[in-house]
Amino acid sequence: MPVIDLPNIRLHVQELNPGGRETIIMVHGMFSNLAVYYFNIAPMLAKHFRVVLFDMKGHGMSGKVKTGYDLTSMTNDLHDLMDALGIEKAHLAGYSYGGLVALKMAARFPERVGKLAIIEGPDPSEQETLAIIDTYSKEFLIHYIENFADTTRLLAGKRQLEKNHRMYEFLFNETSIRSDMEAEKAFFNDPSVAAIPHETLLIYGEDSNCVPSGRTLASRIPNAKLVLAPGDHNVPVQQPEVIGKELEKFLKPGHRRLLEKHPGARRPRPTEID
Amino acid sequence: MDQLIQENKLSKEEIFETLNQFITEVIGEEFVEEMDITPASSFTKDLEMDSIEIVAFSEKVKNHFGPNIDFTGWLSNMDLDEIIRLKLEDIINYIRECQ
Repeated sequence: MPVIDLPNIRLHVQELNPGGRETIIMVHGMFSNLAVYYFNIAPMLAKHFRVVLFDMKGHGMSGKVKTGYDLTSMTNDLHDLMDALGIEKAHLAGYSYGGLVALKMAARFPERVGKLAIIEGPDPSEQETLAIIDTYSKEFLIHYIENFADTTRLLAGKRQLEKNHRMYEFLFNETSIRSDMEAEKAFFNDPSVAAIPHETLLIYGEDSNCVPSGRTLASRIPNAKLVLAPGDHNVPVQQPEVIGKELEKFLKPGHRRLLEKHPGARRPRPTEID
Repeated sequence: MDQLIQENKLSKEEIFETLNQFITEVIGEEFVEEMDITPASSFTKDLEMDSIEIVAFSEKVKNHFGPNIDFTGWLSNMDLDEIIRLKLEDIINYIRECQ
């Protein structure tokens, strides 16, 4: 298993097409892991780019730590990871909380980020944000029970349930993850978000509770474009092809030139909404 | 004497043994003991592997069988239902085709 030892944490990393000229780093969401990209979206992008996937600390096969789930610590990790892999600059894509990590990265280290893609990044000031994540995790468990835990398979089904249960127990009860996320409430109002200079793609599921968060970001980030895809908060799992194609279109060299040639295309705007 | 004519292709049984070993490494011996792993076992339904375990398994397959086997690329052409239905023998056949 490819692991990279960083100053603060050991991370599980997977790379596709390591020889690619430009790099995209993809950040998964809370209670998930790099597998959310690995089987569909990452191979599509690997046709053009070096793709770097990693498990966040406390998730997947990365090291388990009790603290440091706030956006500053998470972006310190990502910065260290880029240094360790010798990546000077990369496009970033992040899903859900990983989207907030990508935004924070662009705000803190703008020179290290090429284009920015945010999928279903929730506004942390919304009371519902944590509720959405809780619902997501419950649905996740119910999915397992319904699909895999029939009576003849109880033992092995139990293994997956217990594995997931252990992860939630660990993250909720033994780490600072909840308070770290709550401490990020004002993040969308941070002037550094409105100052993000990067070309930014916002992809949200049209039936997702997070669409208003996407609209907020679209109104604040000067060079952002919002795209709605069929699905809800789980859109990368529901429509990996659609998400992969949107990212491919957005990141491929020449995209920007095309935009600028097209008279109807959206141009970078002055900040029109405060 | 078929074996003498055949080139260095691994037999289905040899590949199965190797994959069986990988599965044991990924999900742990104590769980494998409770299971009857056969070529007809499906990854998600029978072996109850989740996606990150399949990632770990894929990586072992790639490292062991070499760069000619684009296991991730092969999987990426399948939709979710196909991956859920995927059986050990499908992978054995794929590896044999690539050899």
